[in-house]
Amino acid sequence: MDYGQIIVNWLLLGGFYAAVAVGFSLIWGIMNIVNLAQGALIIVGAYVAYVAFTKFHIDPFIGIIVSMAVLFIIGWVIQYVAINRVIRAPFLVTFMLTFGLDLLIIDLVQLFFTTDLRSINTSYGGAGLQLGPTRIPYDRVGILLVAVLLTWGLNEFLSRTRTGNAILATGMDRDAARLMGVNIARIYALTFAIGAALAGAAGAMLAQVYPFAPSDANTYTLDAFVIVVLGGLGTPWAALAGGMLFALAETVLPLIPGVGPGYENVIAFGVLVLVLIVRPTGLLGKAFYA
Amino acid sequence: MAITPEANATSPGSKPSLPKESRASRMWLWNTIIGLVLLAIISIIPLFNDPAMLHTWTLIVMFCVLAQGWNFIGGFVGYAAFGNVVFFGLGSYAVGIMLNSGKPFWLGLLVALVIAVLFAFLVGLPILRLRGHYFAIATLGVAVAVGELVAARDIGGSGGLLSVHPPTLAELPLFFYGFVGLSAITLVGTAVLSRSKFGYALVAIRENEQAAEAMGIASYWYKVAAFMLSAAPTAIAGGLYAYWATGFDPTTVFDVSYSVEMVLLAFLGGAGTILGPLLGGIAFEYMSYQFSVSGFTLHNSLLGLSIIIVTIFLPQGFIRLVQEVMRPTSLAGADDSYWLRIREGLRRVQRFIASNGV
Repeated sequence: MDYGQIIVNWLLLGGFYAAVAVGFSLIWGIMNIVNLAQGALIIVGAYVAYVAFTKFHIDPFIGIIVSMAVLFIIGWVIQYVAINRVIRAPFLVTFMLTFGLDLLIIDLVQLFFTTDLRSINTSYGGAGLQLGPTRIPYDRVGILLVAVLLTWGLNEFLSRTRTGNAILATGMDRDAARLMGVNIARIYALTFAIGAALAGAAGAMLAQVYPFAPSDANTYTLDAFVIVVLGGLGTPWAALAGGMLFALAETVLPLIPGVGPGYENVIAFGVLVLVLIVRPTGLLGKAFYA
Repeated sequence: MAITPEANATSPGSKPSLPKESRASRMWLWNTIIGLVLLAIISIIPLFNDPAMLHTWTLIVMFCVLAQGWNFIGGFVGYAAFGNVVFFGLGSYAVGIMLNSGKPFWLGLLVALVIAVLFAFLVGLPILRLRGHYFAIATLGVAVAVGELVAARDIGGSGGLLSVHPPTLAELPLFFYGFVGLSAITLVGTAVLSRSKFGYALVAIRENEQAAEAMGIASYWYKVAAFMLSAAPTAIAGGLYAYWATGFDPTTVFDVSYSVEMVLLAFLGGAGTILGPLLGGIAFEYMSYQFSVSGFTLHNSLLGLSIIIVTIFLPQGFIRLVQEVMRPTSLAGADDSYWLRIREGLRRVQRFIASNGV
């Protein structure tokens, strides 16, 4: 068995999963919203990168920026127009609202792009570094780097800038933050917009390495769910840790003799339930998003 | 969260007087009667002899039952269970396997009931120690894991694909009546529950779990019992579905979107009310069906949009809005004119809608 290849696959997949979950984790941690439309936003991001590549010949790595910008605006509008109106409701209400958004977005994407599988094929798509039996594809290494960069950037933004601190303060105590002069409606819109932009980045990465269709959206929402629980809600780094753990479960567990393929999800969700029972705050989680 | 009727009845600000209280306390009876009349009206559908219509309404009533089952844990206890589809799936597989081994249908339903309630007990013990989102995800995780396990172990058939000997055409209305009867039983059960000490304990847990504990309610065991209660109608509905649909696989009977739909229906009508899940189920599923047969390509968008609009404007469900408007006004007195009442009603609707904004 080629252990080097397994480790490489694990790390590269983990980076992608971290990108899928980090925006979801931010929205959940700050606003207590489980955003069921996260997968739909990721898919929108993938299509933005796809259009940028096929119509305007923009390299998908630059497409990540385009996709983030577009999703930032979409996220801001969604939060300002819809979610802010029910933000004080029990969490089931926002849950339902984002479920409605999810249906709406997926259907609109289907209308514009049909249900066909799409993918982006770059000239360097197959290229990679060969180290003995182990092959390291360049584009996936790029994705891992971008994912780590985004996680680091989000962490720096939250902890070092005034706006970032306002976001954290709002997440800890909404009413106290309001008394300190924070404009809650705007901070929430910004938080959701950043979360959506991160989903856009994940989508643009997804478009490079996997084929995608509008119906895939819910898989990514579910993945984000598991990853965030595994990592915990504490910091952006927790999402990265959760992504790595989830990728580990998906790459390594099927290789255990007697398990075989087909059990990945059983194990992933079994581990999820166990983690919840034993340590509900996740691996790196804290009570608050800070 | 805005005032719920339960909280309102005991809030020190309101001045309860005897006749008004007795009106409120008869509400449960009216709700039950309205629900039963509604089900009685629906039950004439097989007389039209239209197989397509019968098929549609069988599914609509089935979803009502699922929402009513979810209401016990999600509505009364306020624990957002997102994996109740697991009971549906277990019920389906129990009945499917029993039928294929030549056992009678009723025995299959009984086994489905026992297995699902037992499963709810065993799973409920660890995961009902969790709260809020964590409970929601744990239930979701259990449902997905069980569904995937059934597929991976090839239970019932390759990939979990199970088919049973189909019922005859003449028997199809029986399934419809089965679902209607199950819905009626659950409705009456909910009404009885809402008037019982057990039901009040569940509502107390929803409103404030620590306070309920302090009042001497063993909240953990009440939650486990409510979880088992919500498994029962769901499992029987799954069993009925298994024979009616004649063939299914894990992706249909462990479909996470069923879980979401149960919550949605209960929630649109009003979670924790007697009539809410039934009304929400009929209204939403019928609308959803009309959208999908209209041939309009954007029916999912319409559905999504209507969910968005309803959640923004009816964040506590339709029943609670009606209750809020019907609540006796505090303005009652000498100057209780018709006009004042309408103004008060409008003001309440406005407050109801805006109660959850930033």
